Amino acid sequence: MTPDPLRVEFHLLDRQVVDLDGRQVGKVDDLELAVGDDGALRVVAIHIGHHALGLRIGGVVGRTMAAVARRLHTTGDPQPLRIPYEVVKNVGSAVELSVRHELLDTPSLELWLRDNVIGRIPGANHAGE
Amino acid sequence: MKRLFSITLGILTAIGGFVDIGDLVANSETGARFGMRLAWVVVVGVIGICVYAEMCGRVAAVSRRPVFDLVRERLGPRIALVNLIGSYLVTLLTLSAEIGGVALAVELATSVHYLLWVPIAAFVLWVVLWRVKFEIMERVFGLAGLALVVFVVALISLNPPWGDLGRQLTELSPPGGETWATYGFFAVSLFAAALTPYEVFFFSSGGVEEKWTRRDLITSRLNVFVGFPLGGLLSLALMACAAVLFEPVGIRVDSISQTALPVAVALGKLGLAVVILGIFAATFGAALETGLSAGYTIAQYFGWQWGKLVRPREAARFHTVVLVSILLGVAILLTTADPVTVTEISLVFSAVALPLTYLPILVVANDRDYLGDQVNGRVTNALGVTYLVIILVAAVAAIPLMIVTGMGG
Repeated sequence: MTPDPLRVEFHLLDRQVVDLDGRQVGKVDDLELAVGDDGALRVVAIHIGHHALGLRIGGVVGRTMAAVARRLHTTGDPQPLRIPYEVVKNVGSAVELSVRHELLDTPSLELWLRDNVIGRIPGANHAGE
Repeated sequence: MKRLFSITLGILTAIGGFVDIGDLVANSETGARFGMRLAWVVVVGVIGICVYAEMCGRVAAVSRRPVFDLVRERLGPRIALVNLIGSYLVTLLTLSAEIGGVALAVELATSVHYLLWVPIAAFVLWVVLWRVKFEIMERVFGLAGLALVVFVVALISLNPPWGDLGRQLTELSPPGGETWATYGFFAVSLFAAALTPYEVFFFSSGGVEEKWTRRDLITSRLNVFVGFPLGGLLSLALMACAAVLFEPVGIRVDSISQTALPVAVALGKLGLAVVILGIFAATFGAALETGLSAGYTIAQYFGWQWGKLVRPREAARFHTVVLVSILLGVAILLTTADPVTVTEISLVFSAVALPLTYLPILVVANDRDYLGDQVNGRVTNALGVTYLVIILVAAVAAIPLMIVTGMGG
């Protein structure tokens, strides 16, 4: 799908990104733009990550958020989750992807908490309904 | 029967929102000091929460997006962060107070000091949030909270001077011995208690968790128009009981046992047992509501997987926030801070966080990208804008009134 008729700020930034099954992947925290052959800007990829969000917000608040995100990252070098725009299926009330979340990288904070905190509590594999 | 069960989300949201520990005391206190002269605020508040809860129920059913998604999308990440911090603190303080409320209800029944019950109440709360399905949770606590209808029964059997109560309803000024400032302070507190932000966070997230679709718009509306007026009715009954029993003799209400007293006077031991059950269910329900809302707001701001539909290990960040919030709530109580004071403070701050929550709901409820043909009609918009103005006035007045009156004196 072509992103051209979208107003990036209004329709894309800060929207919820969901996978094929409606699982929450993250927010559109930042966008990667490129200049096409005709000189027009195109959206190439969506970036998801608290560090990326902090850098986008900027100022004291943004820097603090980015610093916290870096501290909470297991390797200390947070890279945003980069989702190529080709896998975006539809932009509606959420940004829907045409892939499952298992194919995407799991954020390191989620992984760490899963392995060290939540996953260790009895019943962590018990699904609700 | 199926219809009855389908509105338990609204009942739980409303009972948790209207008759939680803070309101149980605030409504009685207002009744004892002002009679029914502030009852109109409850009515204004009920209409306001109905207007906005209907909007976010509609947004949740049609677009499947809960409220905090909208807050960030429409206000941008910076202002949404201000709202997040404000709403989270309010929700956390309320959660803490509700855990205290559960413990106080158990103290009423057992005479064992409430601080000993706090860790047990918090643990049981966490287990319920961890293991129990959303629907069962909302049915059990929503329906058990209905035990508070005993306040209506008590009011009737107290056989109050209905004429006097009716006259107070139309008297829009403070009684002798109270100033306009305290009148204003209690009006703002009651209004904020009716529209606390966590109610819409919980209600809309609950709708998404129940997988509402367009076909559930009726369910959503039933929830709103039965649940919230019912919550409002219970708070008015509480207020009236205190107005009948305490106002004539000038007794001040400042503890939960005094709130329950009118029922004991009117209906004896059996009434007292029912009211303790009701208080337990209402505060526990409110604790579930605020505990989940604490997780909802943060997870929805950052876009994390949230909710009780997926296995906890797949929503590790969400469950960590819920767990940490409960621990923080317990820590606040163990400083021996009075649970009732904690909620009173949180209500004032919630008045300040209100505009940032309700404005984006109104904006999105008018957006055809989200709602298609289900956007707001003219009447809803007129009401929505009117309430936004009232909310702004309350927000501006809240902190000055708190300072001038020294928390109501």
